[in-house]
Amino acid sequence: MNKLKLNYTSLSFLPILVCIPLGYQLITNIHFGGFKLFQEFLISAFNPKIDNEIIFTVINRLNETIVIGFFSWLVSIIFGAIFGILSSNIFYKILNIPNFFYGIVRSFLTMVRSIHEVVWGILLMQIYGINFSVGIIAICIPYIAVNSKVFAEQLETIEYKSFESINQINAPKFSSLLTLIWNPIINTFKNFGLYRLECSIRSTVILGLFGIGGIGTSIFLSFQTLNFRELWTYLWSLAILIILSGLIFKKIKFYTTNKILSIFFIAVFFITILFSFSYFLYFIFNINFENFNSVSSLFKSSSDLGLFDFLKLISETIILSLLSTGIAISLPPLVIGIFNNNTSKIFIKIFAFLLRLIPTPVVLLTLLTFNNPSISLAALTLGLHNAGITSKLLFSNLDSQDKRNYIAMKSLGISKKTSWLLGIFSQQSKSYLAYCAYRSDIIIRETAIVGVIGSVGLGWQLQESLSSFAWQEVTIVLIAYCSIAIVGELINGKIKNSLT
Amino acid sequence: MNNTLLELKNISFKYKNNLILNKINLKINHGEKIALLGKSGSGKTTLISVLNGTIKPTQGEVKLFNKSFEELDRKQKSKITTIWQDLRLIEDLSAEQNVNCGLLAENNFYFAFKNLLNISSFKKAHKYMQLCRLHNSIFEKKIRKLSGGQKQRVAIARSLIQGSNILLADEPFNNLDPKLITTIKNLLLENVDKNNTKQSSKTALVALHRLDLLNDFDKVIGIRDGKIFFNIKRTNLKKLHLDKIY
Repeated sequence: MNKLKLNYTSLSFLPILVCIPLGYQLITNIHFGGFKLFQEFLISAFNPKIDNEIIFTVINRLNETIVIGFFSWLVSIIFGAIFGILSSNIFYKILNIPNFFYGIVRSFLTMVRSIHEVVWGILLMQIYGINFSVGIIAICIPYIAVNSKVFAEQLETIEYKSFESINQINAPKFSSLLTLIWNPIINTFKNFGLYRLECSIRSTVILGLFGIGGIGTSIFLSFQTLNFRELWTYLWSLAILIILSGLIFKKIKFYTTNKILSIFFIAVFFITILFSFSYFLYFIFNINFENFNSVSSLFKSSSDLGLFDFLKLISETIILSLLSTGIAISLPPLVIGIFNNNTSKIFIKIFAFLLRLIPTPVVLLTLLTFNNPSISLAALTLGLHNAGITSKLLFSNLDSQDKRNYIAMKSLGISKKTSWLLGIFSQQSKSYLAYCAYRSDIIIRETAIVGVIGSVGLGWQLQESLSSFAWQEVTIVLIAYCSIAIVGELINGKIKNSLT
Repeated sequence: MNNTLLELKNISFKYKNNLILNKINLKINHGEKIALLGKSGSGKTTLISVLNGTIKPTQGEVKLFNKSFEELDRKQKSKITTIWQDLRLIEDLSAEQNVNCGLLAENNFYFAFKNLLNISSFKKAHKYMQLCRLHNSIFEKKIRKLSGGQKQRVAIARSLIQGSNILLADEPFNNLDPKLITTIKNLLLENVDKNNTKQSSKTALVALHRLDLLNDFDKVIGIRDGKIFFNIKRTNLKKLHLDKIY
């Protein structure tokens, strides 16, 4: 018998096997109490509420969302670039700083980004109360670390020979550094910066669900009052915002050769840094420290969390990440492969857009109307949301793929599906898997959101511990989160390196 | 008077258990023009990298102005300019920005910043680019859009603008047509300023493959398997010598 040989194409489909245990648990957990609500939710999508009052609310709430999203993006992209430089090996090589510091900065940033912005938001809200600044800071903290990783990765691609060449000119060290890093930084900003603005807006919406303000808060309130028509008005307006911003971004081009534009960007860069520092100081010195006192007992409060329970929560979080990742990797190529015609493509694209658009807590709450809380339900929600994101990338790669192999195969009489699989998808599978490895880092972090809502894993425990001000438990849960995310990032990094 | 500018004393360089340079002793005197001959992989590029301080030898001592590299300050180190075989230009920068990089050593951080923002003066860079027969139309083009010969001349212009007295060049005439080779050779070996006026004599060590270009050199060094086989005056070079290294 022939040995089973795995290749990148088969590896892209294999993870769908997670659907077997997941489906089994979902079927056994079905309840029929909320089907009517679910039906109402779906029907309301085609009949959103439109009147003067709600339009006024939408404009106000979108305004808040844009303000929080934009400022958190601006600060996180600029400081992300700065920390990206500080965590790239070229910085240490040129300035002759021992590699020990490189390790320290990298580990610190890994820890910071391992905790999701929702967790930062909940923590900061407990300490400082609800306000806009908390929203911006909560997004900025992990985003700076995430952006710094992307910038640092680009800076690591600078060829050693270029470094040697500039070094040999014997220019002042900072001149050499600037000359070498300038273009990788600008290119990363061009390719990645605007996408991060979309991410900031999504994160603002999610934080809004937890009370920070903006359209997220309105979405959550209308869901809580089961006012689905109003909910869909907010969701569709959010969709319009995301589509419009996407269209605007496509039109924007950065010409670094334009002197006036260059000077404008530099001015924005320095003003943002100055403003951020002064605002940070203002925030620190003008804060009501009464809430802060509750945190001072961080290591004094006792914990009722037993070791067994704690290990159970950790394993739940890991299982949740694996199941979600399986869905996010395999579902898009499977669905695109099976429904491989132009009409289906349009429907898949719309469905994927909706999966990206509707915040995961809302999807989870909707699914809870007919299914009991479980790991599978949380994994399905998280997996579907991320499948919406991976399918966007897959579609754009497949659309730009050379079709000659596909046409040649079809002309040989091979079926359309097989020709697509071998002639088109197989050529994209390697880069697709590499992106999915990066995505799984984010999935691990996002388990916190579905955990809070779906009563699963460490996310749920975090919410419980925060509600009861059990700060020692909060600390333990955060350390556990950090550890899982760091180990996950190391494994995914190895996978990604082997794929690129 | 000690006329030695660069000196290698018993230099060896090992990479992954391979001996790339084997006990090399070499003196380069002020104003000397030396051609370095040898097969591909004989150690020419490594020797140049040791001479400009890019790589540290496993054994031995390199001296510039009678001082070891560690004792030299940045200004003294910048007296050496190198043209690499693989050019090592910054692909994302324009040709004129790359040439201006040669001025980084004599300017401050603000100059580097202005160069990247395209708001610095490119007058000097343009003069040297014109000397290298580069047409105005390519000044603002990104390096990756240039032909092999154009890139080669940008690298040469970057080296010339540095105004260094010691030139180390690794096959600098690659990708150039015969007419250009003569022009470029004169530019590299004679210290010409931006007005094309000959200045003080330049010291040069140039790795070559083409024997018809040897006429302008004072000395010829033959290298094989990391060892110097001969170090003689050009006028004494015989076929016998070349048979030893090729």
